[in-house]
Amino acid sequence: MAIKLTGGEVYDPAHQIDGVKQDLYIVDGKITHALPDNEKITQTFDLSDCIVMAGAIDLHTHIGGGKVNIARTMMLEDEHAHPDYGNDIRRSGNGHIVPSTFTAGYRYAEMGYTACFEPAVLPVNARQAHMEMADTPMVDKGGYVLLGNDDFLLNMLQDGVSQSTINDYVAWTLHASQCIGIKVVNAGGIHAFKFNQRRLDVDETSPAGITPRHIINKLSRAVHELGIPHPLHVHASNLGIPGNFKSTLATMAAAEGLPIHLTHIQFHSYGTEGDHNFSSAACEIAEAINSTPNVTADVGQIMFGQTITTSGDTMMQYFGHEHASPKKWTVMDIECEAGCGVIPFKYKDKSFVNALQWAIGLEIFLQVDDPWRVFLTTDHPNGAPFTSYPHLIKLLMNRSFRNDVFNIMHVEAQKMSNLVSMEREYSLYEIAIMTRAAPAKILGLTSQGHLGEGATANITVYKKQDDVEQMFAKPSMVFKNGTQVVKNGEIIKTVTGVTHVVKPDYDNAIEKPLKKYFDDYQTISLSNFKISNDEMVECIGSEVETHPCKN
Amino acid sequence: MQFENVTCPHCGILCDDLSIDVNGSVLKPVNALDKHCMKAYEDASFEESTLFSPKVDGENTPIDDAIKKASDILKSSKQTLVSGLIADVQSCREAVALTDKLQGVIDHANGPGMIANVAVMQRHGKVKTTLAEARNRADNVIIFGSEVLNQFPRFLDRILSPKKSLGNNSTINKTITIIDSQTATTPKEFNQKNIQYLKLDALSLDSIIQNLQRVVHTNPELSEQHDNDTQALISIYQTILNSSYTTIVWSTGLFDKNMAEQSAQALTMMIRTIMKTHRCVGLPLGGSKGEITANQVATWQTGVPLPISFSTGAPIHDPLLYNGMSILENKEADCLVWVATYSPDDTPPKTDIPTIVIGHPKMKLDNNSAVFIPVGVPGIDTRGLACRTDSVATLPLQKIRNVDLPTAQDVLAKITGML
Repeated sequence: MAIKLTGGEVYDPAHQIDGVKQDLYIVDGKITHALPDNEKITQTFDLSDCIVMAGAIDLHTHIGGGKVNIARTMMLEDEHAHPDYGNDIRRSGNGHIVPSTFTAGYRYAEMGYTACFEPAVLPVNARQAHMEMADTPMVDKGGYVLLGNDDFLLNMLQDGVSQSTINDYVAWTLHASQCIGIKVVNAGGIHAFKFNQRRLDVDETSPAGITPRHIINKLSRAVHELGIPHPLHVHASNLGIPGNFKSTLATMAAAEGLPIHLTHIQFHSYGTEGDHNFSSAACEIAEAINSTPNVTADVGQIMFGQTITTSGDTMMQYFGHEHASPKKWTVMDIECEAGCGVIPFKYKDKSFVNALQWAIGLEIFLQVDDPWRVFLTTDHPNGAPFTSYPHLIKLLMNRSFRNDVFNIMHVEAQKMSNLVSMEREYSLYEIAIMTRAAPAKILGLTSQGHLGEGATANITVYKKQDDVEQMFAKPSMVFKNGTQVVKNGEIIKTVTGVTHVVKPDYDNAIEKPLKKYFDDYQTISLSNFKISNDEMVECIGSEVETHPCKN
Repeated sequence: MQFENVTCPHCGILCDDLSIDVNGSVLKPVNALDKHCMKAYEDASFEESTLFSPKVDGENTPIDDAIKKASDILKSSKQTLVSGLIADVQSCREAVALTDKLQGVIDHANGPGMIANVAVMQRHGKVKTTLAEARNRADNVIIFGSEVLNQFPRFLDRILSPKKSLGNNSTINKTITIIDSQTATTPKEFNQKNIQYLKLDALSLDSIIQNLQRVVHTNPELSEQHDNDTQALISIYQTILNSSYTTIVWSTGLFDKNMAEQSAQALTMMIRTIMKTHRCVGLPLGGSKGEITANQVATWQTGVPLPISFSTGAPIHDPLLYNGMSILENKEADCLVWVATYSPDDTPPKTDIPTIVIGHPKMKLDNNSAVFIPVGVPGIDTRGLACRTDSVATLPLQKIRNVDLPTAQDVLAKITGML
C-alpha cells in the first residue's frame, strides 16, 4: 500500500534540495524515494504546479498549561467571536487568540503544521500542560520545562554544588515532567519578584544570593553536558525594557560559548535612543547572532491587533500591566517553582512603540544571515496568534509588500528604522529551513522536518500562488504520519500526535535531596510529582516518543 | 495491602500523603486524616460479596443494555443537561465530548458557586498564589471565615503551620488572622499562639470585605473616631504593610450568594492596590466537589468556562442562561445526565425528566432514575487525575482496589459512541 506524490517541486533543505521536481512515496507512514518491490501504489497525487515541504514545526507556541486556560477565561469575547463549529469528525471549540485545544490543533494542521512545542511547562503544572496538548489533535507536541527560578536549583547554586549534581537535577526534571527541553524565564527574576523585587539585571545578585548570569551559565552547561539536543531555551532578563539589548547580549555571553537559544528575541532587542528613549537594537542583536555560532533565536514577531500575553515572567508582566488592554491582568506565584502573568494587549500600528516593535522583529529576521539559526515565531499568542504566520512569511518574502505595510505606520517609528532599505527577501528554501529543517534539527527530531528516505511522512503540499500568504494559509494537502488529514485547507480526517521527550541518563542519588526537599517544603509527594510513561498514555492521553541524547 | 502517597480528591486541597490499607473491598486510612477523607473511604468500603448492578427503571440490567438504554434516551432528547461532574479529569473530558455531540448544556453540580471567581477573573484578572508558595513564603495570612478551616480541615496543618519553610522564622510561625462576622458560629478555640481570631460586629463577611477594601483604598489613621470594626481592619491593613508576603484566603461559598461576586472583586481590587508597594496575594479555596477539575477541562476543550451550551454547534458560556439548576427548575431540559463518582451522597437533584446517573456504586437512588450505571471511584477503583484548588497542581489518583466496576470515562465514551 503506497501513496505516490508525483511531479511536485520539492523543498527539502536538510538534503539541500531547492525546488527540484521529485517523486515521493508514502509507505507505512514513512517517506521513501523509490517504490519498494513488494508495494503497490494505491493512490497517486499529481502535484504538478505544487510545492512540497515537510510538515512545519513551531518550536515556541503557548498551547497548553494553566496560563493558557487563564488566558482563555480572560478572553471570553474573543472566544465567542470565533466559534469553531464541530461536525462528524471534528469537535467544536472557540477562539482566535487563545483557541480551545481542539481548535488549535485543527488550525495548525490547516496551515500545514505537524508539530508544536509548548515552551513554558511548569513542573508542577506539567500534567495539565500535557493533558491540554493531548487534547490538541492533528499535531505532535512537546514541552520545555521551566527551571531557573525554582528554590531547589537556586539553593543548590547558592550552596555551590557540583555541575554534575545540577546535571542530575536537570535530567531528573526532564524525566519527571516528560519534556524535551529546558527553559529559563527571567533567570532568578520570578523568584526575586516573590520578595517584592521589581527588576533584576543579568549581573545583579538576586534575593537568592546569585546572579541570572550564574543560573544561565550552569543550566546551559547542564543541557550541553547531558547531550540534550535542544539548547537551553532562554527568555532573557528585562523583557520589554528600553535598553534591554545589553541584558540580551550579556545573557548570550553567560553561556560561555555553549549552545543557547534566545527566545522571542524581538522583545529583548530594544535601545534607548531617540526622542522617545526607545529604539531598535536589532542590528546589534543580529550582529551578535551572526558572530556567535553557539546562539540561535526565535523572533517573537508582533502583529497589530488584539492579543493576550501569557508568560512565566511575573516580574515583567507585572511591570507591563499598566498597558493591559482591556484593563485586566493576572499574576500568580507558583509552587516555589515559577509564576505566570497573563495580560491582554492590543498592538497598534499608530503607536510609536508598537510600530517599532513590528519593525524590530523584521529587522532581526532580515539581518540574521543564517536561516538555520533564526526561527519563525510570534511567541503565540504574545506577539500575535500563530494563525498570522502566513502573513509573516509574506512580509519576509516580499519587500515591496513589507514596505507598503510599513509606510502607513507611525511616522516617528518609520524614521527610527532602516527596514525599508533592507533588500533581502526570503526564498521558499529559506522559509523551509526556518519552519521545518532547522526546528527539527535543533530539537533533535531526526525523522521530522525533512523529506529524506525513511522520514516520518509529515508532508505539506501547497498549490503555487503568486500570493504566498494565501499559499501558506491554505495548503492543498497535509499528510500526518502518511495519512492525508487536510485537503484544500480543510480537515478531512482527525488524528492524534505523540509527545516528544528526551530522557538523559542521570544518577538517581539526586532523589535523596529531592525527597527531603519535597518532604520538608512541598505540598505534593515526590512520587506523585513524577509523570510516568504509562500515566502519559493511560491518564493524560498521549503516547510518548523518546529521542536520544547526544551522550 | 497498604498503599502510600494516596491522593484524596474529597476536598480541593488534594492531600497526597494518605496511607490506605485495602483489605478486600474495605478501605481503612492508616494515618490521621480529616473528617471528609474518613467519610469518603468509609463510604467507598463494602462487603466483598456486594454486587453492583446497572439499573434501568430500577431493575438490574446488564451494563451493555443499560448503556444502550441511555443512548436511546439521549437520541430522543432535544435538550439534554449534563451535570454533576463530580469526577476526575478523564470523566469530565468524556462528559464534555458527550455534551458536544448532543448539542446540550453542561454545568457542574455546584455551578453557581464557581461563578464568582470566574467572573472576576474575566472582568479584572487575579493576583493569586498556590499552596506551596503560601506554605513557604507567607508570613501573614488573613482568612475570611473560620468555616474555611472546617471545610478544608488540613489547610491549617499542612499549609499554614509548616514545621520547616524555605523562608525564615516568620514564614514558619506565620501571623494568622481569622476574621468572622457576628453571625458566625464561634469556632473551637485555636490552640496556636500565632492565630488571632477576630469576630467583628458586621453581619456578614461581605460587609467586612467591603469595609477592608475601603480601608485599603483610603488608608485612614488608626483612631477612636472609627467604629470597632474599622479600627480592627485598619490594624489588619497595618499588618499587611509590615509583612513581606500576605496571603488572603477566602471561599466564595461562605459569602452571601448575592454578594459573592462583589466580595471576590473587592478582594482582588484591594490586593492589586497593596501590590503597588508590597507583596500580597489571594488564595481562594474551593473545588471540594471537583469543580476546579471540571472547569479546567471544560475551559481547555471549549475555550470557555462552565456552564456551557453547545446548542449552536459551538460552545457558548453564559452563567445565567445555562445555570444547570435553573434549567431544571424552569423545565428547560428533557433529560439529565448526572455524573458523580466520589460520594454516594451526591445524588442527582429531584426532577421528573429521565435521568441517567453514572455514579458512585453505593449511591442510593429513587427508582425514577431511568438509568443508573455504578462506576469505580476515581482514586480507589480507577486511576485518574484531579486539579487542586489553586488550579495549578494536577495530582494523580491511584487505583488501590480491584473491583469489577467500569470507569465513568468508559461508560460515557460508549454512550457517546452510540449516538
